[in-house]
Amino acid sequence: MHEATLANSIVQTVLRHADEAGAKKIRSVTVELGEWTTFNPEQVGFWVKVGFEKTIARGARVFFKKVEGSLRCNSCGYEGKCPQPHDGMDRMIGLVLECPSCGHPDVEIVRGREAIVKTIKIDT
Amino acid sequence: MKMIIPSIQGSIEIDLSENLLKTNEQIARENRNLLDQFHVFAVDILGSIGSGKTTLVQQLVRHLKERRRVASIAGDLTTTIDADRIRSAGAEVIQINTGGECHLDANIVKNALVKMNLEDLDVLLIENVGNLICPAEFPVGAHRRMVVVSTTEGPYMVVKHPYIMMDAGVLVINKMDLAEIMQVDMEQLKRDALGIKPGLKVIFTNARAGEGIEELISALELPGH
Repeated sequence: MHEATLANSIVQTVLRHADEAGAKKIRSVTVELGEWTTFNPEQVGFWVKVGFEKTIARGARVFFKKVEGSLRCNSCGYEGKCPQPHDGMDRMIGLVLECPSCGHPDVEIVRGREAIVKTIKIDT
Repeated sequence: MKMIIPSIQGSIEIDLSENLLKTNEQIARENRNLLDQFHVFAVDILGSIGSGKTTLVQQLVRHLKERRRVASIAGDLTTTIDADRIRSAGAEVIQINTGGECHLDANIVKNALVKMNLEDLDVLLIENVGNLICPAEFPVGAHRRMVVVSTTEGPYMVVKHPYIMMDAGVLVINKMDLAEIMQVDMEQLKRDALGIKPGLKVIFTNARAGEGIEELISALELPGH
């Protein structure tokens, strides 16, 4: 359950920053997850809420934003999105890592693998 | 830099933009630097339980030990079965029991590296915990990622694990001797992998019999080989 590892990092990060800012209550948290990560927001959110129990973040809302993947082609210089097939629930089906412009396999991932605590909303 | 945005409801919003994976990535870089300093080439080996990771490590040790000084880090939840098997093949082994954690991370590998005599080492084989999903997000600092699937796991092992293929340098399709009886098309597994990551090196092995091990060693591109 790598979601629990990530959730634990989110809880610690949020509480540390809220404490530094002198927060009395944490209202909400926004987390950005790259579309090419294996973190399921539903599960991460569940474990974050478990971690928030008995803290000033108890009951805080947890929002997830998807970071669209993008890559750079070392052959033709293309940099941008690399559209992937999705199902009806906006979840990816499969994955193809090649340049969408020239089809070359020598590509570097620029975005889409991150896990970021973007913002927290607090009462001081 | 933190940005504080006042909100109309009396709450304040703080922009943190803190990357949660950066600590692991930083330690992974430190591990890589340490390995490079001692000219040790590390391979992170990933695959499900029963795919043949340990048997492949045993064979790699047997094939390499006359030419290279090889050691291994064996990741497992609770047992020393793998470490004992690798030791019997003739390599120094550091056992890491993760307890319940489903992947090795850079810090746990760092703690193992300090216990090793890196000066007397050329190749380090890091056997990750038997799992093809969770370790995708946690680089440990190895130079090469080797992913193992086997024919007994069925025909969908590659298409169902696309993320782990992203960082793979070599894909091993093991138990090639059982492909026919399992009715698994190894060429299709290979096509699936190349569909995700064109240019990926794909090697067929029968680790138990030692078939394909030299091809695998070539594909790993150990320095000076």
